[in-house]
Amino acid sequence: MIKCVVWDIDNTLLTGVYLESGADLPGADPGLTGVLRELSGRGILSALASRNPPAAADYVQQLTGADFAAVECGWGSKADAIARIAAELGVATDAIAFVDDDMLERAEVAAALPDVLVLTPEEAAEAPGWPEFSPAVITAEARRRSQLYAERRRRQAAANEFGGSRDDFLRQAGTQLTIAPAVRADLPRLQELSVRTHQLNSAGEPVTQADLAGLLASPEDTVVTVRLADDFGDDGLVGAAIMTGNGASSGPDARVPAPVLVVTVPLIMMSCRALGRGALDALLAWLCRSAAADGAAELRVPCLVTERNVPMRLALAAAGLRAEAGSVALDGRAIFARPLTGELPALPDWVTAP
Amino acid sequence: MLAQVTGRAELLGVPADTPLFGAGVGLDSLAGTLLLRQVQRRYGVDVAAEDLNLDSLDTLGTLAAFIAARRDA
Repeated sequence: MIKCVVWDIDNTLLTGVYLESGADLPGADPGLTGVLRELSGRGILSALASRNPPAAADYVQQLTGADFAAVECGWGSKADAIARIAAELGVATDAIAFVDDDMLERAEVAAALPDVLVLTPEEAAEAPGWPEFSPAVITAEARRRSQLYAERRRRQAAANEFGGSRDDFLRQAGTQLTIAPAVRADLPRLQELSVRTHQLNSAGEPVTQADLAGLLASPEDTVVTVRLADDFGDDGLVGAAIMTGNGASSGPDARVPAPVLVVTVPLIMMSCRALGRGALDALLAWLCRSAAADGAAELRVPCLVTERNVPMRLALAAAGLRAEAGSVALDGRAIFARPLTGELPALPDWVTAP
Repeated sequence: MLAQVTGRAELLGVPADTPLFGAGVGLDSLAGTLLLRQVQRRYGVDVAAEDLNLDSLDTLGTLAAFIAARRDA
């Protein structure tokens, strides 16, 4: 599935060459502008990679009204530009398509980044009809995705300017994180997150809406959602966790629950947009505190150990969870656990939680 | 390297036994991932693949010892 399309400017999104047009600048290609809008509505990001000064990107942005999630203008290789865009957006190269009218540029990218889907402008005009450009679920978050990434670019620029610590920046940016029990209306977005998240996903496998609906109905399980907003924008539902074994003693028809000593968290997932914004650390702190408040003595998180989810393992380590050395099971998972005695990770004051 | 990935120049002179997680440096998963990527690029040691618990990220001292041990191996 394609998550981001990287567009060339000259003779692709524009009907001519920006620098060779003098005062009479070329217009936008109407067909490809339509494709840009259609894909954006499906939650597929757009980015620019162009051998032009940055002013060319501003011009294309004004002309098309598109929100570009990343912009690479310069005279270096386009393969390098695409690799930087992939890293900046946290998107794997096999989820990137590249559109350029220039055969040599296409050949260079295809050779250096064989996973990237390389297209001519003519092929791109057909792309909205192809399955890899047609996500099964399109949520409210997806429709706003390009805008959210544009907000992220502005937030990142402000954070780079800011001198103090990350926590000071989060506070100054008016960060608001809300942890709340999941409701049925959240299910499409939760399913989408389970498919799209890799770096910050403990389970490494998708859950269906039916699975999730079952969990919502079960008294032994709790599904919590994480919403994130700040002065730069509202990211909506960015993460979730499933807790099991706490007896759900707060449920309306709860019978007296048997004492449960261990709370297990079969899934923690978080959008990579929340990376670096304290959201996962806050969720883990809340999980520890909530389990401890329910009388549990230990918190366990079974986590797939892969190269891609290193950020998830770092957050687990930072929250004091440890796995036994050599305990990775045949399915690639290890149980990370911590006792819920002594000092628990602190919950920042910008977190609202039950 | 730590000052570079966190963008905080004041961390340049941080003592080797300062905790990286929590109160000391407050390394988060983003900065931690960038730090491990830099370590792999510069020293050729893939800490994430070899240290399940990432205990080597306790302090700069433990990280340096881990890298040194792997390079000698």
